[in-house]
Amino acid sequence: MTILHTRNVQKSFTEGRESVTVLRGIDFSVERGEIVSLEGPSGSGKTTFLSILGCILTPTKGDVVIEGESVAEKNLAAIRKRSLGFVFQQFNLFPSLTALENVEYALNVKGMRGREARVEAQRVIDAVGLGDRQNFLPRDLSGGQKQRVAIARALAGKAPILLADEPTANLDSGVGTQVLEMFRTLAKQENRALVIVTHDPKVRSIADRVAKIQDGALV
Amino acid sequence: MAVDLATKSLLHDRLRFMITVIGVAFAVTLVFVQVGLFLGLMDNASLTIEQIDADLWVTSHNTPNVDFAHAFPETYVKRVRSVPGIARADNLIVWFMNVNLPNGAVEGTEVYALEDFGAWNFPHGVIEGDLSDLRRGPYMVLDDSAKKRWGGFTVNDYREVLGRRLKIIGRTIDAKSFTTTPLTFMDLRLAQSLNESDLRGNTTYILVKLAPGANADAVRAEIQRRLPYNDIYTKAEWAKRSRSYWIDSTGLGLNMYITVFLGCLVGIVVVAQTLYTSTMEHIREFGTVKAIGGGNRDIYAILGKQAAIAAVAGFALGALQAFALRPVMAKIDLKLIIPTELYVLVLIGAIVLCLSAAMISFRKVASIDPALVFRT
Repeated sequence: MTILHTRNVQKSFTEGRESVTVLRGIDFSVERGEIVSLEGPSGSGKTTFLSILGCILTPTKGDVVIEGESVAEKNLAAIRKRSLGFVFQQFNLFPSLTALENVEYALNVKGMRGREARVEAQRVIDAVGLGDRQNFLPRDLSGGQKQRVAIARALAGKAPILLADEPTANLDSGVGTQVLEMFRTLAKQENRALVIVTHDPKVRSIADRVAKIQDGALV
Repeated sequence: MAVDLATKSLLHDRLRFMITVIGVAFAVTLVFVQVGLFLGLMDNASLTIEQIDADLWVTSHNTPNVDFAHAFPETYVKRVRSVPGIARADNLIVWFMNVNLPNGAVEGTEVYALEDFGAWNFPHGVIEGDLSDLRRGPYMVLDDSAKKRWGGFTVNDYREVLGRRLKIIGRTIDAKSFTTTPLTFMDLRLAQSLNESDLRGNTTYILVKLAPGANADAVRAEIQRRLPYNDIYTKAEWAKRSRSYWIDSTGLGLNMYITVFLGCLVGIVVVAQTLYTSTMEHIREFGTVKAIGGGNRDIYAILGKQAAIAAVAGFALGALQAFALRPVMAKIDLKLIIPTELYVLVLIGAIVLCLSAAMISFRKVASIDPALVFRT
C-alpha cells in the first residue's frame, strides 16, 4: 500500500538573478514497510528531495501526497507532526535534555503528554538498546548512541514514514552497520516506510529498493 | 507534565543565565533604589504634615511648602476658631533659626513651635522628655538627627538659639524635613520672642481640626471668606503641594525618571542581547523543533518562558539587594521606602521588559528555515 508518492515534483531556487532548477520532475513512491535507499552524487538534489518529502520545503511544481493527503503550504507542520519522523546526519539532539527527555519532548511537540509520553519514550529508548543510558545528556553519549537516540525520537509516536539524512555519515563503519541493522529491524517490526538519503554503500544491504538521483532526476 | 525544554536549556548554560539574571537584577536594584530614595525624600518633605493631626492648614498666600513659611498675624486664629464646625484651631510657627554650638560653629535649625503639642499628637517619635514641659520655660526638644551636624548632646545640655540659651529637655527620632535641617520643638511664645522682628504677634500656619460630622468643604469656604488673603489646604493637598515643590524645583522627579529609564534600558539591552545570542546559538535546535512538527508558537513559548524566568530570578536578586541596602542607607540618614505596591509593579515591569526583549528573538525565530537541520 502506497503511503507516500510524488508526481512530477520540480524545485527551483533563485540565486541572485538566476533561477537554478534542482529537481526536474520526480515521480516517486514508497510502500508501507518498505525501505528505500536514495542515492546520488553531491549536488544531485537528494537532500532537497528529502526536504520536500519531509514537508520542510514545498515543490515549485508537482504534487506530494502523504497518507492520501495532498501536501500544501498550510498543512506542512501538521503533516510533519502526524506522519513523519526524522533522523539527521548531525543528530540534532537537544543538548540540555537527557536521551529519554529528547524522545519525550518530540512526543510532547506531537501532542502526547504526561505518563503516556513517558511510557512511549521509554519503549523506544529500550528498543534502541539505550535503557541504561536514558538519563545521560547527549554530550555523555558516543556518536552511535546519539544516533540511536535520534532514531528513537523518529520512531516515537508511531509516525508511518521515517526519513533519514546520511544517518551513518558521522559514525565509524562498525557502529554505522549496527545502527542500520537496528533501524531496519525496528522499521520492519512496526511496518514503517523508511527513506534513507545516503552516500554510504552499506545502506544498500538493508534497503528493499535503491533509487538514484542524478542532476535532479531519478535515473 | 511535558518536558521543560525552556528551563533546562536556560540552566544548561549557567554562565549566560547568570549574566542575564545579573542584568535584570541591576535594573531592578536601580529602580528600587532610585524610587525608594525618591519616596524617602518625599516622605521627609511631608512627614510633619502627615504627623500633625490637623484636617486643614491655613497658610499665607502662595506658601510653596511647609518649610518655607511666611508670617501673618496670629490673631487670625480667632477668626478661624469662630467658624462653625471647627473643634480646635491653633497657631503653628515653622521657622529657620541659627544655633550657636559649643565649638563656636553656627548651624541652622528648623523650629516647630506650638502652644500644645499634645493636642496635635505631634511629633510622633519622642524618646526622652515630655513636650508639655516646653511651656514651663526656655526649653527645647531636639531631634536626634541633629547629632550628625551639631555633635553629641544630651538632655539638660544647653544650646544658644538666636543668642538665647535654651535647655534641652527632650529628644525625638525620625522628625525630619526635606531640607535635612535638624528639627527643634519649642513653645510658640518662646519662638516669637526669639525672633521678634519677624514673629512677634505673628504665626506661620493655623492648624484646624474639624468637629465630628462637620462639612469640610463648607468650613474651608467659610475660613476662606474670613481670611481672603490666606490659602487653605486639606492635609492631603498640603502634603502634595509640599512634595511637588521639591519635585519640580530640584529636578528630583526628572532625575528619578531618567535614572529609572536608563536602568530599564540597560536591563532590556542585556536581556535582549543574551537572549538573542542564545537564540542564535540554539538556532539548530529551534529548527529541529520545527522539523519534528513544532511551530513558531512552540518556540515563542520557550523563549517567552526563558525571558519570564530571567525576569523573576533577576527581580528576586534585585529586590534582595535593595532590601539589603536599606540599613546601609539608614546609616547615612537616607530613607529607602519600598512599598508592597512597588514590589508588585517592578515584578510586572521586569516580566514585561524581558518579554519585550525576547521580541527580537521572536522575529529571528519566525524566519528560521527548518531545512537548516539537514545542513552540516
